[in-house]
Amino acid sequence: MASTPETEGQKPKHRPIVRIGIFIIAHSFIVSVVCCTAGVLALLLLPVLAKKTYVSENALMPGSAIPMITDQDVSGANNFINELTSLNSKSQSLNIEIPRLIALHMANLGGEVSYHMFQNQPNKFHPLHFFTSTDTEANNVNQTCESYATNTVGIIRAPRGDGKESIVLVTPYNPVNLSPNETLSLGIAYSVFSLLTQVSWLAKDIIWLAADSQHGQYNSVAAWLKDYHTPSFGGFGKLHDDECHISNDIIEMEVSDTLRRAGTMAAALVIKVANTGEAGEQDALNIYAEASNGQMPNLDLINVVSYLAVHGQGLRVQVDKLVSLLDSTWLKFIGEVFETVGKIARSVNPQWKFGISVKEYVEGSATLVSSLYNQALGVPTGSHGAFRDYQVDAITMEISPKLFSNSKGRQTELLFRGGRLVEGVIRSVNNLLEKFHQSFFLYLLTSSNKFVSVGVYMIAFLLLVAPLPVLAASLFSDTIKSYVKSEKNQPFKSWRWLYPTKTVFLVHLWGAIISLLPYFIYQIPDSQPTSRLLIWASLSLFILIVLGSFFRARSAEWALLKSVTVSSAFIGLCLMSVINFATAEIGALLLVPMCLMTKPWRVAGKVQSALNLVLVIIGFPGATFFVVKSVLGFENGSSLVEFWYWVESLWAWNSATYIYICMVHLPCWILCIYILLHPC
Amino acid sequence: MLVQCTMDLLFYYRSLGLSLMIENFPAGDIAALVYLWNPLTIITCLGYSTSPIENLMIVLSLYGACRRLVRLAAFGWVMASHLSLYPVILIIPLVLLIGSGLDTPPRKLFLQPKHSDGYKKTSFSWRRVVLFFLWASAWALYVLLLCGISLKEYSGLGEMFKRTYGFILSVEDLSPNIGVLWYFFAEVFDFFRDFFLIVFHINILFMVLPLAIRLHHRPCFLAFVYIAISSILKSYPSVGDSALYLGLLGLFVNALADMQFSFFLFSGYLGTLLLSPVMNNLWIWRGTGNANFYFATAMAYACFQIILVVESVSSMLNHDRALKKGATTVAKKVQ
Repeated sequence: MASTPETEGQKPKHRPIVRIGIFIIAHSFIVSVVCCTAGVLALLLLPVLAKKTYVSENALMPGSAIPMITDQDVSGANNFINELTSLNSKSQSLNIEIPRLIALHMANLGGEVSYHMFQNQPNKFHPLHFFTSTDTEANNVNQTCESYATNTVGIIRAPRGDGKESIVLVTPYNPVNLSPNETLSLGIAYSVFSLLTQVSWLAKDIIWLAADSQHGQYNSVAAWLKDYHTPSFGGFGKLHDDECHISNDIIEMEVSDTLRRAGTMAAALVIKVANTGEAGEQDALNIYAEASNGQMPNLDLINVVSYLAVHGQGLRVQVDKLVSLLDSTWLKFIGEVFETVGKIARSVNPQWKFGISVKEYVEGSATLVSSLYNQALGVPTGSHGAFRDYQVDAITMEISPKLFSNSKGRQTELLFRGGRLVEGVIRSVNNLLEKFHQSFFLYLLTSSNKFVSVGVYMIAFLLLVAPLPVLAASLFSDTIKSYVKSEKNQPFKSWRWLYPTKTVFLVHLWGAIISLLPYFIYQIPDSQPTSRLLIWASLSLFILIVLGSFFRARSAEWALLKSVTVSSAFIGLCLMSVINFATAEIGALLLVPMCLMTKPWRVAGKVQSALNLVLVIIGFPGATFFVVKSVLGFENGSSLVEFWYWVESLWAWNSATYIYICMVHLPCWILCIYILLHPC
Repeated sequence: MLVQCTMDLLFYYRSLGLSLMIENFPAGDIAALVYLWNPLTIITCLGYSTSPIENLMIVLSLYGACRRLVRLAAFGWVMASHLSLYPVILIIPLVLLIGSGLDTPPRKLFLQPKHSDGYKKTSFSWRRVVLFFLWASAWALYVLLLCGISLKEYSGLGEMFKRTYGFILSVEDLSPNIGVLWYFFAEVFDFFRDFFLIVFHINILFMVLPLAIRLHHRPCFLAFVYIAISSILKSYPSVGDSALYLGLLGLFVNALADMQFSFFLFSGYLGTLLLSPVMNNLWIWRGTGNANFYFATAMAYACFQIILVVESVSSMLNHDRALKKGATTVAKKVQ
């Protein structure tokens, strides 16, 4: 921003910060290349920089008490499982019989039982769902009794507690099609429940939610949580038809009609049993932690479960990882490079503990990619995601025995193991005086006991995104200098960015419009996914052409247009990084190279134009989807249909990723294409 | 919401009257368009806030002063001060405008010896100023009388002053807003609370006199700077106040033709205003943030506003220097 003043003779001195700024802007190309490579390198380095997890909250003290679960509890659980299995095989209206059986057992153990009936709310797309939590009003369609599902809720009041806090155990099951795994998970919960009615150390109430998941596991838990947290002032419990009530014809059981509450929830555990079908050496425990929009529970909860599982029960703890990456050769190559660098560093100074083995690196990368992808999608990985909306930390624990057999001995052993694990976790969480707050909320897992915290992964993102404002400033100052030099003598030189801003604004408006289009497309009855996708694409193109006639008026200089585009990409990426970091990281990897390199093809050379074309093709979200799916080897069904279902899942779950794609990624992509084809 | 829209339209017509039709662009049109199409104005109307009414009164007083309609200016000033306390400081630009009209040239600017065509220095009309004060006191008494009558059941005027001006001055409610006072006063000890209240309010007052001395030849611009500063440092700012001074910025579009960093400021405003609700959501709804996140965006917003004020004042002064030298292009000086 220096100019030659007419009167002063000497060169004016800038303030130091302005001088640094001018230096960086003058060398913007080198700065961009260095920052981008550093950003990608930092991302590849993340599995190496992962630290071991540790329990931050001192009050938790996992594993410091001997498990108290007894044979009596487990044998009671076995009887319960047998009754369930026999009921499953003979009875008809399982919709009502199984909740009644569970309620009977809960009441016999001494808990307070209540039913929670809810209707299935289909996930419909409504534009305002992203910004407000609209109450889904009761559907106007008259639904019969069969559409009601019944959650059975049992509460143990802590003898020494004040009733202000509670711990929730969730066991989802499908009464229409009860599988042996679900009976096992119900059995584990039964054994823990029967133990906890007798212990003296309980300070928080225990809620056991046997969730009826015939309409989906997430929906059942979400419906119960919504009713739990919505205060009702009289008459709420009588909303349902009287015939749909489960009649209490067993005299000694008192089942409440209204919703029983037990205070704020300190933590929630969703217990499932799965059979992986492969024989390993150990029983395995899979932990699923991601909630909606990439939110994670407090790391301490995962640490406690992981510690107790490994050290207490000898289970092998696993987190979701991308299996197809475990064989990739380029990842192994990068791992070997890092290992060599680590060896060199250690030989120089033995205290630098840098570098991990190739196998660890490859597994860490696979887990990291899966963790990033799950967080980026913004779709919860299980019914524990419903708890996060109410700021309750929750995870899903899926126990998979190494050899699934129907033998009684295996079943008892599994009940013992699972029971002790759940009891240990509850005992730890029981010690808490405050909510989970000590450990991290923003992290990425590279294995079940290694994590990368926000302070580390944010650096990779910032390095990747830093060239954007530098490039915008350099393009802008170059344009201003060229105006000064050309002596056009126009008074409003520094306001000429207003014209490209109008263009960029119109394109973003287009992005907002097409994000709302599916709402109207759904009103068309009986349409196939492929036709819906084609209608959406053609409508978007049409609206773009209509809007394009508005910004044909002034063909602004491409440099200013690129500067404004890059600034808007920067603002969009930074905003998204606050909402959902993983989306912003993946979006930055796609968007930043494309935005930095785009130039009109008449100005740039042939090589650069070809590279720009490749980047632009990769930058389209649909193309990325296809490329990723084909490279990582998932091919099922027609890809167009799959793409539509993928996008549909994004807006069905109110994921902010959908808004990011429509309002930041697509407009910047369109603008980069426009700059590429600019007639200058 | 209909009321707000009417207020906005009235602002539009008033600012048309305020247009300084010099040089190229119809500044009044631009100011009105900037105000009406500003997303901040639209959000203020959607939020059912009464800021448009305050803005209308401020613009009414400026318009009356520019057209030397003493009664209208006094009415606008009294109402604006009654509704929110801070427009009191606009007394200085209003007096300057009423006394000497728009754009009083500085005494040494155009008094060149070579101008021999009998250039007469514009005189300061004290009669109108006295008339202004008389009308202002008349309007103030009338307003207070009406308030007293309507508040008779609610224990009268003293209570009203305590609850309106006292509330603004004593910053009792510390709900988070887009300003910078709530965070500070949540931490300050009770012993020092009065001291810091005085410091924060004097922060606005001590800038009044130096700015008046430097910019007394451009009273409209002085009013703009006062409004901008009071909307940064007032105790309960909102985006409605920002909408007002951004609209008034449009009036000086010809003088500010070479304002540096305009693109940077625009991006900064956009980014901060979009980030603020996200941080609020992160803090209040998700529980993974805390008050520091939200206050950081409020501080960044205040920074960008201050840069805007500083840049506009410096480019206005550069414009004056260029006029003085008789240059046609404005030389960009480095600060």
